[in-house]
Amino acid sequence: MAIHSPYSDKSILILDDLPEMRSSLRTQVGTLGCEKVAVSSNVKDALEQFKTTRFDVILCDYYLAGGTDGQQFLEYLRTRNVIGRGVLFVMVTAEKGYQNVVTVAECLPDDYLLKPFTAEALKGRVQRLVEKKKRLLKVDAMQDKGNWPGVIVACDEIITAKDRHMVDAMRIKGNALIMAGKADQAVEFYQQMIAMRPMPWAQLGLARAMHQSGDVAGGKNALQSLIIESPKMMAAYDLLGRLHQETGDHDEALAVLDSACEISPNSLARHRAIASVAEETGDFSRVEQALNQVVKKTRNSPLRETKDFARLGNALTEMGEPAKAVQLLEEARTSFKEDANNPLLAAVEAVAQQKAGRPEQAEQALSRAMQGGVSNLPQDIAMAVAKACLATGKQDEGESILKNLVQGAPDATGLHGKISGVLREHGLTERADALVAESMREIVQLNNEAVRRARAGELTAAAEMLVDAAQRLPGNVQIVTNASFALLFDVYTNGLDPAKIRLAQQFQQSAQAQNPKHPKLAEIADLMGRIRNKYAAGKA
Amino acid sequence: MDFADLAAFTIHDAKNRLALVATRAEASGDAETLRGILESSASLTRLLTYYKAEKNSLGAEIDARVPADLVNELLQDISKQTTLTVSADLSAAPTLWFYDENLVRMVLLNAIYNALRFAQKKIVISAVDRNGWLEFSVADDGPGFPPEQLGAIDNMLPVSRDGTGLGLYLAQRVAALHSNAGRTGRIELINKGGAVFTLRLPQ
Repeated sequence: MAIHSPYSDKSILILDDLPEMRSSLRTQVGTLGCEKVAVSSNVKDALEQFKTTRFDVILCDYYLAGGTDGQQFLEYLRTRNVIGRGVLFVMVTAEKGYQNVVTVAECLPDDYLLKPFTAEALKGRVQRLVEKKKRLLKVDAMQDKGNWPGVIVACDEIITAKDRHMVDAMRIKGNALIMAGKADQAVEFYQQMIAMRPMPWAQLGLARAMHQSGDVAGGKNALQSLIIESPKMMAAYDLLGRLHQETGDHDEALAVLDSACEISPNSLARHRAIASVAEETGDFSRVEQALNQVVKKTRNSPLRETKDFARLGNALTEMGEPAKAVQLLEEARTSFKEDANNPLLAAVEAVAQQKAGRPEQAEQALSRAMQGGVSNLPQDIAMAVAKACLATGKQDEGESILKNLVQGAPDATGLHGKISGVLREHGLTERADALVAESMREIVQLNNEAVRRARAGELTAAAEMLVDAAQRLPGNVQIVTNASFALLFDVYTNGLDPAKIRLAQQFQQSAQAQNPKHPKLAEIADLMGRIRNKYAAGKA
Repeated sequence: MDFADLAAFTIHDAKNRLALVATRAEASGDAETLRGILESSASLTRLLTYYKAEKNSLGAEIDARVPADLVNELLQDISKQTTLTVSADLSAAPTLWFYDENLVRMVLLNAIYNALRFAQKKIVISAVDRNGWLEFSVADDGPGFPPEQLGAIDNMLPVSRDGTGLGLYLAQRVAALHSNAGRTGRIELINKGGAVFTLRLPQ
C-alpha cells in the first residue's frame, strides 16, 4: 500500500538482536508509511550501514547481543560524531529505569519507547519527535558545528516564544553557556531554572557551571545534595568523582565511583574513570581490574577503544608483568590495523618491551610513537611518550617533551609534580628538581624579552616572538593572551592588518575557552574597542 | 539470583513476548485481544512498581512535559483496544507541566482500563490547568464509584472496584511523589454522570 505519508521519505534503521522483534518493529514502522527501512541484528552491521546510508531515525533495543547495549552504542555514535544531533535516536526497552545510567547529557536518546507499544503510539511519538527536530533544526546544526554563541541566541528565540519546546531550548542553552565559557551567566541561568523547578538536569548543570567558574566546593555541594535527592542520576556521581579527582581527593573519588558502579555496573565510561583515578594514586591493580572489565566487554566489538588496551598494558607493566603487557599490546597493534601506529599504544609498548628485556622491539615501538611528531600530542599521551624515551635511555628527547609540557601548562602544579616524579622514577633525581624550574624560567625570560622589545618600539618583532610561543604552547593562557594583545597593539599602532586581527581573535577565543576569567581578556576586549574606534573614525 | 531479580527478569521477558503478540493482534485489527495483552502488560508494570515502592526505591524523575501529548498518546493507544468512544478534552490544558511521565502514564492507564470495564458508551480523558494544579481526569458514563470510595484518597489503603486494588494504591503513591513549594499531588474520586478519576499535580 503506497499511501501518502509524511514519513515516506524518512530513512529508518531498526537495531535489535532478536529476529522476531526486528520483524515486529518492522511491521509497526511499515504502518507509518516509511519506505526506507533497514534492519540490523548487531552493532557491527549497523555501523556498516551508516557508511552508505544517512538515517533520519534509529530505533534501537536497549539489549543487544555481543556484550554491548543500546546506551553504549549511542555514546559511541555521539562521541565519534557518527550521527549529528538532527538524527533521532529512540531507545526501545521493556522497562523504564535506564534513563539515568547515562554518563553524559549529550548522550541521552531523544526518547524511550516502553514495550509493548502499539503502532499507533509509535506513530504519534515519531511524529512529535520529528516536529521537535524541525523546531530545533537551527539549534542542532549550530551545536554540531560548536557555534555556541549562535546556539544561545537561537535558544533565546525559542524560550521567548514560550511554546512546548521552551524547556528543551533551556536545557540546550545552559550547556551552550558552559561550552561558550560563560560560567557566571550559566550559574545564574541554572539558578533561575531551579527556582522554577529543581529538575535534576538543571541541578547537574549548576554544578558544572560552578565548577567552571572556579567554585569547586560549591559544585561538590550541589552534586552531593543532587545524589541524595536523585540517587539514580548517574551523571552526578561521575562529575563528583571528577571534581574529587581534580582536587586530589582520590579516596573520595573512588568511593563515589564505586557506589555508582553498584547501581549501574555496565557503564564503560565509569570503569574508565575509576581506572584514571587509580592511575593517579598508583593503584595499578585497581586500574587492571577496571580496564579488564572494559576490554572484556569491548574486545570483539566495534566499540572498543585502543586507549583502553594501552592503559591496561601500562598497568600490567607497572605491576611487574611486562610479558603479559607485551602480549596484550601486540594483540592490539596487530588486530586494530587503523591504530597500529597509535602513539599511546606504541609508547606503552616501548616501555613494556624494554622491561621484558627486548630493547630492539622497544626501539621500534618508540619510533612508531614519535613518527607523527610529539609537539601536538595531548598531555597524557605526551607524558607516556616521554616515559618511553626515558625508559629506553633517550634522556634528551624525554626531557624536551617534559619541558614543553611544563611550559604549556605553567599553572598545573599537579602535572609538574608528576613530571618530577617521572624523572625521579628513572633515576634522574637532580633533573627532577631542576627541570620544572628551568622550563618556567625560560617562559618568564621570553615574556620579559617580548615586553622589552615592545617598549623599544619593536612591536612587530615582539608579537612574532609571542605568536611563535603561543603556537608551541597553546595551553599556556598567559602566553596566548599576551600574543593576542601584542598583535592587537601592533595593529593599533602600525595600521590595520586583517590577518593579524584574525590571529589575535583566535588566541582570544582559545584563552576565553580555557580560562574565561583571565584578567588579560578584559584588556584585549578594551584594545579591540579602541582599534574599532580609531579606524572607524579614520574612515569617517 | 534472589527472587526480586528473578521476578524482574521474568517480567522483562514476559513483556517482550507480549510485545510480539500485541503487534500481531494490532495488525489483524483484533481489539479485544490487543486490550487483553496490553492490560496484562500494564499489570506487570504495576507489580514491579509496587515492589519498588515497598523497597522505597520508587523515585519520580520530574521533568517538563507536554500534558496534551500524553493524553493524545493514551487516546491513540486506547482507541485501538475498544469499540467505545474515547475522546480527549484538552481545551484548558497547559502547554507544559512538571511530572514523571512514565509514572503518570501508568496511573492514567490503570484508570482508563478501570473505566473501560464500567463505561456504557464513552470515556473522556482530560488535562486541565486549575489554579496552579494540573488535573488529569478519566471520566466514564457508567454506574460510578461505590459511595465508600468517594472523595479524596489519602488513606493509602488498597481499595478498588475491581481486582487487587494495586492500581489505586500506586496512584496515591505516585501522586505523593509529586510535590513542589509545599504542595503535594493527590487523587480524587467523584461521581458526575459516571465515575471521574482525577490525578492532581502541583505546579
